[in-house]
Amino acid sequence: MRKTPFVLTAILLAVALGVAACGPQATPTPTAPPAAPTTAAPTAAPTEAPTEEPTPAGPPDLTGETITLYHFGDLSGPYASITAPLIHGAEDAIKAINEAGGIYGAMLEIKFADDAGSIDEAVAAYDRFTSENPNTLVMITYGSGEAEALAQRFAEDKIVNITAGLSAKAFYGAGSGYTFGLGSIYPDQLAHTMKFLSENWAAYKPASAGDEIKLAYISWPTAFGQGGLTAESRAFLADLGIEVVVEETYDVAPTADTTTAILNAQAAGANVIWTNTLAFGPAAILNDLNALGLRDQFVVAGDNWTMDLATYAFLADPAYGVGLIAPFPYLWWTDTDNPGVQYAQQLFEANGRPAAEHNVGYLLLVAGVDMTAKAITRAIDTVGYENLTGEAVHNALIEMSPFDALDGVLQVDFSNGSRSPHMSQIRMIQGGPDKFTVIQDWAETPDLRPAE
Amino acid sequence: MGVPRPAGEFDTSYARDMATIRQPWQWWLLFAFILALYGLPFYASQSTVSLVNRIAITIIAVQGLNLLTGYTGQISLGQAAFMTTGGYISALLVNQAGWPFLAALPLAALGAGVIGLIFGLPSLRVKGFYLAMATLAAQFIIPWFTRNAFPDVLNGAQGLNVQSPVLFGIVFNTPQKYLFLSLTVLVLSTVVAHNVSRSRLGRAFVALRDHDLAAELLGMNLFKYKLQAFFLAAVYAGLAGALAAHNIRHLNSETFNLNDSVVFLGMLVIGGLGSNLGPIFGAIVVELLIEFATLFGPFFITLFPSTAAGAVQALRPLFFGITLMLFLIFEPRGLAHRWQLLKAAWRLRPFSH
Repeated sequence: MRKTPFVLTAILLAVALGVAACGPQATPTPTAPPAAPTTAAPTAAPTEAPTEEPTPAGPPDLTGETITLYHFGDLSGPYASITAPLIHGAEDAIKAINEAGGIYGAMLEIKFADDAGSIDEAVAAYDRFTSENPNTLVMITYGSGEAEALAQRFAEDKIVNITAGLSAKAFYGAGSGYTFGLGSIYPDQLAHTMKFLSENWAAYKPASAGDEIKLAYISWPTAFGQGGLTAESRAFLADLGIEVVVEETYDVAPTADTTTAILNAQAAGANVIWTNTLAFGPAAILNDLNALGLRDQFVVAGDNWTMDLATYAFLADPAYGVGLIAPFPYLWWTDTDNPGVQYAQQLFEANGRPAAEHNVGYLLLVAGVDMTAKAITRAIDTVGYENLTGEAVHNALIEMSPFDALDGVLQVDFSNGSRSPHMSQIRMIQGGPDKFTVIQDWAETPDLRPAE
Repeated sequence: MGVPRPAGEFDTSYARDMATIRQPWQWWLLFAFILALYGLPFYASQSTVSLVNRIAITIIAVQGLNLLTGYTGQISLGQAAFMTTGGYISALLVNQAGWPFLAALPLAALGAGVIGLIFGLPSLRVKGFYLAMATLAAQFIIPWFTRNAFPDVLNGAQGLNVQSPVLFGIVFNTPQKYLFLSLTVLVLSTVVAHNVSRSRLGRAFVALRDHDLAAELLGMNLFKYKLQAFFLAAVYAGLAGALAAHNIRHLNSETFNLNDSVVFLGMLVIGGLGSNLGPIFGAIVVELLIEFATLFGPFFITLFPSTAAGAVQALRPLFFGITLMLFLIFEPRGLAHRWQLLKAAWRLRPFSH
């Protein structure tokens, strides 16, 4: 009897391997037709020619159809404060598209899963969604970690990932190819800003600083936090003559203390601090710099997320935000002459969103949904609704390039193998919240994507 | 605890006396249950299979913690860090050294075990709360190491893409296929954990836990047994970490974090400390609670759109916290003990006592 467990285990092992060999596939092949057949009059759409011109038969009538998008992000973990407005931006934008008639009559639907910032949970959400809809077209993600971890899956399953997590690895890592960004990748952002500073150092340098820029990279110890410093961005900085004198990390927590990191930066002779963080991340550095009385010794700059209302929620004094510099790969709420910003403002007010959500996340996702809807429309025009797949949407995003999302809130070009926008402004806080002043207008960022 | 046996059931041999499962029908039931689990890919959805994968891997990690905390009484807050160790070792061996997964997996477990030994050293001098703090160090040092050491190899905070296992030409790159791997390792780890618990080693662990001074007076080398417990716990964590890394196909210093270590302890309390069924019950209940919170969230928002957005953020910790609290108050010996009571009541029916 005592041998029974081992005999059974051996049998199970053998059976397992045998069954695995002929086990079912995870998802149907991406080229399979969509689950929902079209009820519209059939257009003479090509079946396998995504590069063909739109069919001349006129727009299809997809009334009664539903196109489901999926998004998942951290609603109960450390990034919850930034995720909620992103989600609401996406939801409100989709609601507005539906109220305007959807895409050729097909209603858009968006489903969300909270992954608590955990990669394991993100994979679970991915599996759940692909299980629910084998012909998933688009998933929207918000974190660098999620985007990096799932990049290969997106490419294998040919599902377009529109992401706000701008880590270079997610876009250009081995096996990726279906991940598209809502902003420049972090190495591009760092390089773009440092190039601007090096060209305008005399105008922006602290009084105590010398002629050379010495950079302290003080950031979170996460994929996002460390996303700015790559081999490519280090080489770019070296070419500019910028030395990275200190690399420090601090906790992903509103209570994080950055004084030691700042003092180390001071001791190393740094005169610029770069932080790849958001909300309480830049706020911690700005609060501690002021507490230490060292604010005037450093130019403080950060990734696009640092310059946001979410940061103000954590500043001990709103005045501490003044002087923060950040790349801005999109327009801002104060650009009210732009129709896209006006549209986003209308959505925001119509849906009664709280003032705290009047931030980058909401605006960017309205633009992101606009970009997604345009790509889906283009894909339907090209291959027909019955052949609509993630691959067709992927191809549409590339074929549409260059294009403006939400009337120029985002300037996108996914041609030449690029999957992240390369146009960005640079802004500086020159007053209270919302006073994000343009100090360099739209310009092309350095292209520091890693070799694929 | 002693479990009452049905009347008339006598042991006729030593083997039968030692047997865990005593009746042939129980063997067949177990075998059918395991076969049903292996058959999941053929009748369950991908998300269900994915969930079972996660539960299986979590059970393995919690089984290790059970040997250390449940049987030996040594609190550890570093189990997730040892998972990171195992994950990285396996990823490096498979990705960069080109080792087959079957060879990398045991080495990942052993490597994690050795690291676990090092962090178990303070157990000689400290115990209880102080030992928890000492093991907490693993949760900071190991992720720091993976972020900062050997950036060319470990790739810093960005971490590693991890290849799917390939066994005998089969690529285990879908939840359905991966289930065969994770279940097989789970079956093996369960058999080993069960046998450890009823061996000389397991009895030493229990003696150490129940009264370490008395055990030492009886001649037990406490330090040796404590280190063995730490080693075994980390071996299990290494196994789970390697399996999880190849399942997720990505690994960085954030993949397994302090929160996971705390949740593992909570799973053990809910399932039952010092019971082989405890990790299984605990992991299943907590993972299902998390799943429920995830699925319930959007429904909650639909019901209460004006107030739910903030509350949804709290659903997961709320469910976990309340469940843990209820178990600590009403059933501190966990679901495993409740299961034993249920079985006893069934066997003693129609008598209640």
